[in-house]
Order: sequence, then structure tokens, then C-alpha cells
Amino acid sequence: MTAQSSASLFRNRRPTPRRDKALPYLLIAPTVAVLVTLSIYPLIYAVRVSFQSNSASGWTFGNFARLASDQFFLSALGHTFVYASVALTVEFLLGLGLALLLDRSLRGRSIFRALLLVPMMLPPVVVGVVWRLMFNSDFGAINGTLKTAGVNTEALTWTASPELALASVIAVDVWQWTPFMFLVLLAGLQAIPQEPYEAAMVDGSSWWQTFRHVTLPLLRPAILIALLLRTMDLLRVFDQIFILTEGGPGFATETVSLYIYRTAFRFFDFGYASAMSFVLLILTNLISFGYIKLLESREAA
Amino acid sequence: MTSRALAKLIRYALLLIAVAFALVPVYWMITISLKSEADQLAVPPLWINFNPTLAHYEDAFFTRSFGGYMATSAIVSVISTACALVLGTLAAYGLARFKLYRATARHLGLWILSTRMFPPIVTIVPLYLMMRDWGLLNTVASLVIVYTGFNLPFVVWMMRGFFDELPREMEEAAMVDGDTRMGALRRVILPLVTPGLAATAVFCLIISWNEFLFAWVLTQTDEAMTLPVAIAGRVTQYKIEWGVMSAAGVVAMTPIVVFAMAVQRYLVRGLSLGAVKG
Repeated sequence: MTAQSSASLFRNRRPTPRRDKALPYLLIAPTVAVLVTLSIYPLIYAVRVSFQSNSASGWTFGNFARLASDQFFLSALGHTFVYASVALTVEFLLGLGLALLLDRSLRGRSIFRALLLVPMMLPPVVVGVVWRLMFNSDFGAINGTLKTAGVNTEALTWTASPELALASVIAVDVWQWTPFMFLVLLAGLQAIPQEPYEAAMVDGSSWWQTFRHVTLPLLRPAILIALLLRTMDLLRVFDQIFILTEGGPGFATETVSLYIYRTAFRFFDFGYASAMSFVLLILTNLISFGYIKLLESREAA
Repeated sequence: MTSRALAKLIRYALLLIAVAFALVPVYWMITISLKSEADQLAVPPLWINFNPTLAHYEDAFFTRSFGGYMATSAIVSVISTACALVLGTLAAYGLARFKLYRATARHLGLWILSTRMFPPIVTIVPLYLMMRDWGLLNTVASLVIVYTGFNLPFVVWMMRGFFDELPREMEEAAMVDGDTRMGALRRVILPLVTPGLAATAVFCLIISWNEFLFAWVLTQTDEAMTLPVAIAGRVTQYKIEWGVMSAAGVVAMTPIVVFAMAVQRYLVRGLSLGAVKG
């Protein structure tokens, strides 16, 4: 070691000058100010609005009391749960399957990966347009193809039919977001070291045993993060449903976000809309809290 | 055929089916944007053998004002991305490199992240009322402000991860050589995180370009209408001009797909806010 570098090592240990003490706070302050203005202040504003009613002045619990007996809200909540749980399950299983297919080396792997990711990258509004073109009962590609194959498509109006609409919008979600599950799970798979697999092979484990006892436990953090992020997004889903059905036909595809939107910007009942949005916020937080506890329990173990 | 070759064949077959499912709907929209009205309605559907025409693109961009909506989208995306990058990178550096009072850095970081986790529908009512009070409804400024707020937590978390990966000795060495803290950040650290900064910028551009709900609620007039709002406004009308819509859709998605392909390496990290380092 030269004299110069040992001298600089020594000088590195000197205490931070005083003006450096304030610097980090100065760096962080603008960001905090913007976020307080755009997320904390709006939340406080929303609390205030949710305790006000259009018809009476002063403070009221009316908006929250109304929630429990509002059939539309309860059915929107039901649709949101069906939508989120079905889409989450299907997307997870398909995404895991695709990730396993592409985990081992294969010629053209990076091209397959890139092409499979396309739906996820599209603007949600464009996804809405794409699937209106697919589902359209006059010239949609799906019914056109079925008609050619001799199927009677009269009852198959997809997003326009009360029975099929919810399944149709879920299918669109699966189409768009399975790539996300696939991408995160593939990253998780590729981060697993080789040794446990080699050990399992030496033990003569079957493919299923290896998958069950090596892959799944080691993939758990990636699985939980993928499920957490998808769940958050599914509970707030708005864009594609709005473009595809606007919540209809009737209320067949109305989720909580759509009902809040309608209440606020069609009926201009901002108080009730705010009250509902708090229920959605609390639900989302409880669920994500659960996932984070699961993640931490594993990291601690 | 050996069972190994058969397994490989099955893998290829399954992957091809998956790719077809992913791409055929998008391809269908592209064909609709290039077909005459008669070809659009043909049964059986014309997948390949139609006479391509650019009439719908001309219609969208010369007869209607889709060029203007696109310019609005671009302006809003670029300005809000720039604001978020400057503010967020400085904050990320402050959180990553300094010893703050007790656990402040950890708590602040988590709080910043949590603002990103709010469902947008929760803040839309108060933000709409605030913008109305400030007289900013139907302005580009309202969208720039809201998107900067959207992108900030994202920039802070991404950039903090990139800063954490660089050893502290880098700027300490520069400071020993007489550089100030900010000089070291500018001359030593920023050049090293440029790929990360670029990837973060691309993600912000994509998020702003794609955003629909806030743009739909905050702007309804032509002066501040973004591309997604213009497209959506035409979808939900009774008579839908599918060719124009599809042409606008193709134009809206093309830059995004190109950008996203460019940041593929960072995709996992960007989508999981740095939680998974793919």
C-alpha cells in the first residue's frame, strides 16, 4: 500500500462536516412536499368529504351507514372478489406453467419471452379496443371464426350478455396479466441455485418430488410478491372494464372502482364515493398487510 | 423418436400456442386498422387476404385531431417524467447515502412506497375537487402535477436500489480529492447509474403515456385531451368507427412496445418496484 492511499484511507474517517448533516434532508424535502400535497392532503380532504352529505350541512355518518344496506355496493364488492380471485388463480397457474416451460435452456428462449410479454405492455385503453374488436358479435374475430366452423353464435354475445360478461372481462385480464406472473416467476426460478436440484437428482427424486420439495419452497418469495402486486391491481381494476362494458350490461361487470367512479362523476355524490373508497383502501391494506406478514415470516425463519 | 425429443417438441408446441394467444388479438386490431369497411365485416374473417389501406390513419390524423392528442400525451409524459426524475433521484440519493436521525430513512422510504400503493380511485375524488378549486381542470398542468406524484415514489425506489449497488468508497474517493458532495454525485455517481436512470425514465414515460383514469376525469376538452382519453371517448359512443379507433390504438401502442422492449432487462425490477431483482 502506498503512502498516499493509506493517507486517504485515514482522511476518510474524519467526521462528516456540519453542512453535510442538513444536506440529506434538503434532498428529500421536495419529494416529501409533493407527496404530502398529492396523497396525504387528498386523503384528509376525502375524510372530510366522506362525512358530508349532499342533502344536509354539517357532519354526518350517513354515507357510511348507507354502505351496509346498499345492494349495488355489495354486489360491486362481490364482483370485485370474484374477478380478483378467479383472475389471480388462473394467471398464477398459467404464469407458473409458462415460467417452468421457459426455465430450462431452449433455442429461441429470449424471443419467446419477449413475445409473451407484449399484452402486458399495451396501454389498458388499447387492450379495451383490441378485445372489443375480438368480442364484437358482428365482425369480431371470435364469432367470425366460430360461424365459419358452423357454430351457432347467436347467444354468444360475450361482453354484451349478462351471463358471459363477467367471464369475458376476466378472460381479458388473464390475457393481459398472465405475462406479468410469468415474468416475475421466471426471474424467481432463475435465481434458484443449481445445487439443490443436483442433490435431488442424486437422491433419485421424481420431477414432481423435486418441484414440490425444492422448486416451490425456494420460489416462495417470488410467488408472494407476484401475488401481492397482482392482488393490489385486481382489487382496483377500472380501465379495461370501463372500456369494454362500462360496468354493464346492467351491473353485471360493475366492480367497486367503477361504482365509485359512477357515484362521483355521474351522480356527483362525492361524499358517498369517498366513503366507499375508504372501504376499498382498508380492504386493500388488510390484504397487502397479510401478504407482507407471510413474506416476513419466511425471511425470519 | 426418443422421449427427450418428444418432450422438447411438446414444449415448443405449448410455447407456440401461448405466443399465438398473446399476439393474435393484437394482430387482429392491426388488420382492422388497415381494412376497408367491407373487409372489416367479412365472414369468415379476413386474416391475411385483404387489400390494405391507410385511409383510417389519414382519417385519424388529418381529419380528426389525433395528432394533437398525441402531442398532448407526449408533452405531459415528458414533463412529468423529467420532474419526477430530478426530485426522485435527489431524494433517493439522500435516503441511500446518509445516516439520518434514527430509523428515519427506513420509515420515510416505506411511507413514500405506500403512497404508490393507494388505489387511484381513492384519491381521484379529492384530487378532482382540489384541481377544481385551483382552477386547473382541463389543463395540461393538472396532468403533469398528478403524474409527477404517481412517478415520484417509483423513481425513489428504483434509484435508491441503483445507488445501493454502488460502493460508498466511490464518492468518498472523489470527495477526498477535493470534490464537494454534490459534485461527486454529478461527476462520479450519476454517470455510473445512467443505465438505471434511463430505464427508470422509460418506465415513467410508459406509466404516464398509458394512464387513463385521471386523464379521463381531469380533462374532457380538446386542449388537454390525451390519446387514451380520445380513444376511450370514441369507443363508448353509440356509433363506433372501428377503423379510426384501431388506427389510433396501433399508434398509441407502438412507442410503448418499442420502449418496453428496450428496457426488458429491467422489466422485472421496474414492475415489482425493485422487490425482485431479475
